[in-house]
Amino acid sequence: MSIVEVERLTKRYGQENAVEELSFVLEKGTATALIGPNGAGKTTSLSMLADLLSPSSGTITMAEGLTIGFLPQHPQYFPWLTALEFTEMAARLSGIESKKAKLQSTRTLEFVGLEAAVNKKIGAFSGGMKQRLGLAQAIVHQPKLLLLDEPISALDPTGRREIMNLLKTLQQDTTILYSTHILNDAEEMTDQLLFMKEGRLIEQGSLNDVKNRHAAPQIRIRFPDHNQAAEFIGKLSWEHKIKGDTVFLPVYKNGPSMQQVLQILASEKQDILGIDFQTASLEEIFLKVVAAK
Amino acid sequence: MKQFNILMQKEWRENTRNYKIYWIPAIFILLGITEPVVNYFLPQILEASGGLPEGAVFEMPAPTPEQILTAVMEQFQTIGMAVLILAYMGTVAGERKSGTATLLYVRPLSFPFYFLSKWVMASAISLLSVWFGFLGGYYYTLIFFDKVEWSKLLQMVGTYSIWVLLIVSIVVAASAAMPNGGLAAAVTFAVYLVLQLGDGLFGTNWSISPVKLPQYAAAWLSGSPDSASLGGAIGVAALLIFVLFVFGSWASRKNKAKTKV
Repeated sequence: MSIVEVERLTKRYGQENAVEELSFVLEKGTATALIGPNGAGKTTSLSMLADLLSPSSGTITMAEGLTIGFLPQHPQYFPWLTALEFTEMAARLSGIESKKAKLQSTRTLEFVGLEAAVNKKIGAFSGGMKQRLGLAQAIVHQPKLLLLDEPISALDPTGRREIMNLLKTLQQDTTILYSTHILNDAEEMTDQLLFMKEGRLIEQGSLNDVKNRHAAPQIRIRFPDHNQAAEFIGKLSWEHKIKGDTVFLPVYKNGPSMQQVLQILASEKQDILGIDFQTASLEEIFLKVVAAK
Repeated sequence: MKQFNILMQKEWRENTRNYKIYWIPAIFILLGITEPVVNYFLPQILEASGGLPEGAVFEMPAPTPEQILTAVMEQFQTIGMAVLILAYMGTVAGERKSGTATLLYVRPLSFPFYFLSKWVMASAISLLSVWFGFLGGYYYTLIFFDKVEWSKLLQMVGTYSIWVLLIVSIVVAASAAMPNGGLAAAVTFAVYLVLQLGDGLFGTNWSISPVKLPQYAAAWLSGSPDSASLGGAIGVAALLIFVLFVFGSWASRKNKAKTKV
């Protein structure tokens, strides 16, 4: 079931199109990663979905009564409020009644790992704490749709891992749309990928679809040295690439299978250091897609 | 209405925690006290600062207590109003510019209540400051000069309060409409000057001009202002405040997109 439908969404600033004819659908309970180089229009798109910006043209259709939580890339706070006061205010402005708002705020702050700072003034928070508080205010009212602009980019590796785990927990009953340029993490939590470049959607689909479209998986074999590698591929009729002591064999429909390769290696009594099945990383695909169009 | 309570709580916390609720009244009290005190000690001050030839006799008519209180109001008209304008020029624009407004605007926020919370807090502190300022001035006038009837003071302060509310409405609405606090202050000062100038040049017969409210306030001390003119001026001021409220709510919603994301 789709809960958000975006159709030909466009945002113009003067002559410039920050976002151009963007169309996609968010299915209920899925996580969608919005990726693209800086200036691709990710933040502008999220701002329009959060109803901060109004589109120049195009439509956003949301399921009735859809509640939204939004985390901007650089959330700014009133430094004179405590974390609890702020989260409570956020919850109540979203329509939660006062007693429940307090309870949910305390729980949410615990959930994001701020239990020790509940009554501290936000002015004294570190960057990482502010990022966690940002997530807390976005989820405190238990929204059905979460819009997150670079939720993890500003965190250190430990914090990033923690927040990713939190997001995965949330994903069970929330639809998430998030932008990121940490592609390893995107790979970990995504049902749908949206690639943007210069305001346009240049690629979309599930992780597997996108990978298969742009880079066939390959078998990677490492030989003891370059000569042995070169000698070995001389005996093959398959498409191949060689890089130093490593040989890559792209796997197409009728290309080599792992079994075939192992058989040849065995019959040639060829010694190797390692062999594995490799799929392209999202990062490689990203670079390819962005460079191509 | 619930949203209004939440937003009021936020404004209250802001204005207490950044000490606005203390320092703005403190300035007005200081301004209010200065006038009677300086007037009382003027002969000594002149003597101490020297510059008068030996044996010079200096006769000064003692100012009346009414004159002192009018002078207090004149201080409020210049320095006092400037303080209020500078204190509240960023009340909406500043939140947008720093981006703190973003996390409010992404929620189902009622902009009329948002604007109203800003207006109520700025008005409350401004009125409190003006009242305490007059009270301080009145007290020292009583000690150093002569008595002014309590009821006269109340009528004067009451009339002047309407004028203060009008100025606060202009600055809060300008803050909602302008991209930053500096421009909001500039616009407010410009409006303030144009109003004074317009009324001074052409307004001889505009008896219901709200710009005359300070004059009418002062008139209570020596008698009473023409009640039809006063009523009219208050009515026009109330109408302007309402228009500014509608405009300010509209402008803060319209400028929603200008908040830093």
